[in-house]
Amino acid sequence: MRVVIAEDLALLRDGLSRLLRAHDFDVVAEVGDPEALAAVLAGTPVDVAIMDVRMPPTFTNEGLVAAIEARARRPGMPVVVLSQYVQQLYARELMRSGAEGIGYLLKDRVADVRTFVDAVRQVAAGGTVLDPKVVAVLMSQHARREPMGRLTAREREVLGLMAEGRSNAAIAAKLFVTGKAIDKHINSIFMKLDLPLAHDDNRRVLAVLRYLQGGSPPGEGNRQWPLPGT
Amino acid sequence: MSVGIRATSGWPWWASWQGIFRFEAFVSAAIGLAAGLAWATTGGHFWPAWVWFGLGVPLALQGAVRWGLRAPKGERALFVHAAISFALAAIQLTIWLLAGLGYFWPVWSILGLGLVLSVHFWIVRHRPNAREQALANRVDVLTRTRRGALDIQAAELQRVERDLHDGAQARLVSVAMSLGLAETLLSSDPDLLAELLSEARSTTLAALDDLRTVMQGIQPPVLADRGLEGAVRALALDLAIPVTVTGGLAGRAPAPVESAAYFTVAECLANTVKHSNAASAWVDLRHQAGLLSITVGDGGQGGASLDGGTGLRGVIRRLQPFDGKLAISSPAGGPTTVTMEVPCASSSPRT
Repeated sequence: MRVVIAEDLALLRDGLSRLLRAHDFDVVAEVGDPEALAAVLAGTPVDVAIMDVRMPPTFTNEGLVAAIEARARRPGMPVVVLSQYVQQLYARELMRSGAEGIGYLLKDRVADVRTFVDAVRQVAAGGTVLDPKVVAVLMSQHARREPMGRLTAREREVLGLMAEGRSNAAIAAKLFVTGKAIDKHINSIFMKLDLPLAHDDNRRVLAVLRYLQGGSPPGEGNRQWPLPGT
Repeated sequence: MSVGIRATSGWPWWASWQGIFRFEAFVSAAIGLAAGLAWATTGGHFWPAWVWFGLGVPLALQGAVRWGLRAPKGERALFVHAAISFALAAIQLTIWLLAGLGYFWPVWSILGLGLVLSVHFWIVRHRPNAREQALANRVDVLTRTRRGALDIQAAELQRVERDLHDGAQARLVSVAMSLGLAETLLSSDPDLLAELLSEARSTTLAALDDLRTVMQGIQPPVLADRGLEGAVRALALDLAIPVTVTGGLAGRAPAPVESAAYFTVAECLANTVKHSNAASAWVDLRHQAGLLSITVGDGGQGGASLDGGTGLRGVIRRLQPFDGKLAISSPAGGPTTVTMEVPCASSSPRT
């Protein structure tokens, strides 16, 4: 699997690269700023791009902007955005370009190597992986809103773990139940959220997207935030 | 800094006062005329002079006070004083005249009145003028708010130092110890080694969490990334109740103002979530004519005040160095609105 890493701090860039190489990823390029990233993406076939939110020149949210631009140029381009802190706002901005192939994680998650590597693979395959911190806030907000209100507490829990990018087996292990029970919950979630019959992976993504959209406060609509640099 | 609940009272008290004065003058004139007519029919010693005098005294005193009150604000007290002094002198001269002249006794009291009036005049003339007074007041405010700002800064640094010392620093020491011990166990006890490494990893993550919390308290990263409006929108999304953000800021306010304003909004919304029982809240942001105004409101149960907790007092102290104002309106039963205004420039947006 071909990966490009954009991270301005050499220490973290090298660590990330070493970690991914050790897990049989093909790190095709390591760059330190969004321009270099764009140049790599334009010329080299890449399966997934991993980038830091804060990069030169302004050290604010260049990585986020770069991810959105990359997906504008190549719809569905899998990106994993890493950050020292996570924001609902940024998760939503990323998801506006579609929820397929999006990862948004705290840098800390890299420490759990196996989960992180799984997450990168899942994003590359078109999945959605959100940081547990983003999911936790959504959980606290969604309990009483439609259509999330239709879900049972257990179903919401399962949906939250799906949003974190966990597989059915991983969810079953985490909740100490059988894989069959998880299948049942997931089917029930799809039904309650009125998701069309489609390929299972695609429905997972749709469920997560629905989950995120449920958080829009009434009246806010889809106001497009003007990003610096766009 | 003005803090309080606005009350409206447009009752023109002077209008009725003027009405009373006119009525009194009319009644006095009628009684005086009646006394004159009574004397004309009966004849004898001209006694109505004393009636007229008695009726004139209250009118003269009131007239004098009203004349004095018409003076400009800074000199009003002196003019009222002078008017009353002249009225008293005139009254005494009249008594002396009506009593049939003789020894000119009013000279002593008139001298006394004059002396007191001159002392008053001297004090007023030697008082600093209005501009100097305004500057002196401004210096007072600046001295106070500067001390407040420095106190806040010192307290913040102390808090950051303590948080780092007790949090991230202590955890990193523990990580170093675990790793040091792990090194000695490389070949002898692989099970304990694995346990120590896993412990070192989870302690490192906890240290990162500590650092994030400390940084959030110093300067929320999203504020640097997106400015005040973006940071408030991000904050609104993170709260447990829906928060609608209206208005908008085209440019960026100076960083310290943005920071103070952000923490004020955060404190207000935290109070809403904690105490108001409201189902939703709203924030309105705008910058017009050099004034940044932000209103935070909710439809909760009201009853918020500055005395409820130290939180709002803290944000007021943060706003004071920028001449910011905060007003709370929160009647029992709601709704609650907190309005803050900070005069500041706004830079054009980055492109």
